[in-house]
Amino acid sequence: MRVALFVPCYVDQINPEVGVSVVRVLRRLGVDVTYPEGQTCCGQPAFNSGFFDEARSVGRRFLDVFERERFDYIVCPSGSCTTMVSHYYPFIFKDLPDERERSETLGQRVREFSDFLVNVMGVKDLGARLEGRAVFHTGCHQRRELGVLEEPRELLASVDELELVGWENEELCCGFGGTFAVKMPDVSTAMADEKIKALQKSGADTLISGDSSCLMHLKGRLRRTGHDTRVLHLAQVLDSGKAG
Amino acid sequence: MSDRAEFLGSIRHRTQAGRYRPTNAPDVAWTRKGEPRESEPIDDPPARFIEELEALGGHGRCVGSLDEARECVLELAREREAKLLVRWDVEELDELGVDGPLGEAGVEVAVWRDLADFREVAEKAEIGLSTAEWAIAETGSLVLEHGPGKGRTVTLLPPTYVAVVPVERILRTVPEAIEKYAGGVLPANVCFHTGPSRSGDIEMSLFIGMHGPGDVHVVLVG
Amino acid sequence: METEKPARRRETEDRRNEGIASGVEGFNERARRAVNDQQLHDSIELFTHKSVAGRNAVLNALPEAPELRERAYRIKQETMANLDRYLEQMADAVEARGGNVFFATDGEDAVRYIGDLAREKGAKVITKSKSMATEEIELNRRLEEDYSDLGLEIVETDLGEWIAQLAGDTPSHIVGPILHMNRKRITEVLSRTAGEELPPDVEALGSFARRRLREKFVTADIGITGANFGVAETGTVATITNEGNARLVTSVPPVHVVVMGIEKLVPRFTDLSVFVRLLARSGTGQKLTVYTNFITGPRGEGELDGAEEFHLILMDNGRSKLLGTEFEEALYCIRCGACLNVCPVYRQTGGHAYGSTYSGPIGAVITPLLKGQGEAKDLPHASSLCGACWEACPVGIPLHDLLLKLRNQQVEEGLAGKAQEIAFKGFESTMKRPVLYRISSRAGRLAQKPLKKDRPLPGPLGAWTGSRDLPPLAEKSFRELWKEGI
Repeated sequence: MRVALFVPCYVDQINPEVGVSVVRVLRRLGVDVTYPEGQTCCGQPAFNSGFFDEARSVGRRFLDVFERERFDYIVCPSGSCTTMVSHYYPFIFKDLPDERERSETLGQRVREFSDFLVNVMGVKDLGARLEGRAVFHTGCHQRRELGVLEEPRELLASVDELELVGWENEELCCGFGGTFAVKMPDVSTAMADEKIKALQKSGADTLISGDSSCLMHLKGRLRRTGHDTRVLHLAQVLDSGKAG
Repeated sequence: MSDRAEFLGSIRHRTQAGRYRPTNAPDVAWTRKGEPRESEPIDDPPARFIEELEALGGHGRCVGSLDEARECVLELAREREAKLLVRWDVEELDELGVDGPLGEAGVEVAVWRDLADFREVAEKAEIGLSTAEWAIAETGSLVLEHGPGKGRTVTLLPPTYVAVVPVERILRTVPEAIEKYAGGVLPANVCFHTGPSRSGDIEMSLFIGMHGPGDVHVVLVG
Repeated sequence: METEKPARRRETEDRRNEGIASGVEGFNERARRAVNDQQLHDSIELFTHKSVAGRNAVLNALPEAPELRERAYRIKQETMANLDRYLEQMADAVEARGGNVFFATDGEDAVRYIGDLAREKGAKVITKSKSMATEEIELNRRLEEDYSDLGLEIVETDLGEWIAQLAGDTPSHIVGPILHMNRKRITEVLSRTAGEELPPDVEALGSFARRRLREKFVTADIGITGANFGVAETGTVATITNEGNARLVTSVPPVHVVVMGIEKLVPRFTDLSVFVRLLARSGTGQKLTVYTNFITGPRGEGELDGAEEFHLILMDNGRSKLLGTEFEEALYCIRCGACLNVCPVYRQTGGHAYGSTYSGPIGAVITPLLKGQGEAKDLPHASSLCGACWEACPVGIPLHDLLLKLRNQQVEEGLAGKAQEIAFKGFESTMKRPVLYRISSRAGRLAQKPLKKDRPLPGPLGAWTGSRDLPPLAEKSFRELWKEGI
């Protein structure tokens, strides 16, 4: 099994440890991991703001970079960035037959991290150990476009000493929404507060998600409001309790 | 003012000029798990009808004969201390034979024909009485077909409304009821009437009997 | 619309409030007031939570719901593709039943038709049942102004709409028009109308409204309704209410006028078996609404009640320009309000923040489409694109995708603003060139060193750090770590 890593730009720049955990988890399963170094960003920020030309231009580059690689799957530790490639490239390239076909072909091989582990590798127990009581936040693209809902929970259920608890209104968006977070800061922050209220009510000490962007938003608000809740990406949890 | 031909012409022009084909299938989010499924069949339509109606705050009962049905209406009139009952002018309600006994009990009966002012009568009546074309078990609904003798306001203006419906008119589902009008010509007014009138506009608290009757009774005769 | 009392601040305070300038000021301004208003927040929460729970319960109990949704979408798609033909069929059917049909290009046409009719009939009292189409064209205000010589008394008869009318307020939700008002406020409004202090309980308030509106129902000269659906095949108009007001408005006065948006059409009567089930479940969490009422023309021979005259106004008002375009799906909406209830933005701001008759996701989509982007530039951005609206929509309208397309349209029409244009050109150049990307990331790391957390930052960074901590860039990026070996 050969996997080309697609590391979202904000993971690359802000949370590289998430990418490192992905590599370690995959390698432990015997996956041959490669990282196409020409990659930058999938173009989602431009796309979400309506700058489709700019998104197409960045998207074309993404296609070029990954088409050059040899891999069975592209794996990405973000439901949102996965969706950009698998669902929204065909959307923005709708009227361009060549790119559309290329993006559809590539899109079928892009998998979100937990989806890849459970549905491609057939693994649910990675032998990880993490003490704590956690809630899981499913990013909206992962929930609605990808429909990858159970997989992260199945993986977390096998983590030793980790208790996964439910929380109120867990289907609600965290309020990040890309540039929405800065275009509509009041509403965006109020949405984060709604999640934080539910988080506190759940009694969890740890917040886990498959999307670092949601976590960046929620963590930013948690810290600002004086909460020290532990915030981790799913990959970091699955990589924990292992001595390399 | 817009001219009909011009109005339709501009719409025709737009619908025919190169149609956009959406890329998203609509079923993604309401994901189907496996084969298309259907609702559980309804085993006992009268029982289900009553269950549904009562869940909405209405009152249903199933009786064995017209005599019993008549008794239900009389009892209701007594309980509500009615002075005036207004009813549809239909054969089935003639057969029910409530007019005489009601009169004896001091309840005036207005039959829905040749009324000088229908508003005044329907407004004044404490009880409206009708039958129904169909009833729907799945939802506890009555299908009311209006027409000569079958006034709309009989079922609307009095605070208490009672319908006497033969049990064989119970259909199982809403689609079955709608199917009755497939491709045909409809009466000027058909209403699927489901339980008491209600409003939730004040803090989502249920207020029963908003504009129509809050006190709804259905007597199934079987 | 602002709430009258000073807003109580929400628990969490330190929100800073500048969004980047991209034409989002209008919404942001109103949204800011809304998110800081605790009473409004409580009211919205009460309504949306109950609505969502009710909807989920009845839809989960309907195993064929996904099929119905798909059929609803296909029916609407077919309707729009042949709208001219179905409109003509509808008009012919209504006329064959002795009704009058009028084609209104815009609100002005509709207002004039109704005003002239009121004059002709010497009408004094008009009762109305809740209709978004007439809200959209501000029918009441325009009739009162343009036909002031008639001294018309126009009475909304849906309880919520009536209270809004008495308060001089506008509806803030398609289904729950006054969800933004709590009982205390409602009691004030109704007490003023009653001329006495009413007790603040639902029984007393509801009973008062019943009595007062009953007087209007039985004395009205004209009844005006919207249409939840119009059936081309039979010329039937469906009005769907729980209170029974639409049924009274159409049964008592001698004249009934329907104002129907042209997109409300369905081809066949049997199509309604799909739509009435979806609408009741999605809108109010019911299997069927109390009064699912079908009207076909004026009263028949020998009938004592029901309107003697039936007037159907088929209104375009900007709708037809969406036909055949990538925005056509916006016309499939059946106005159930489900997308508002699940929308995390609506749940924070309520309906008035949208500054439009139509709020929530569907409002953010159709307001700019009907009014023009220039009029509602901020609305396509009033969404985190989470897709909850699309998931809830009983007709499967991809609302969040339509919002994206609207944003794109703004960019193409040069409405996005210079700052954004420059920013995304820069984004494009950087992301297309890995070298540039690496240089900017190093530059970013250097630049962040002198930054202090408590100093306000400019632009988007400031909008972020006003209320949230900004994570620092990592010492080493993933690609550097990869090179060093993991």
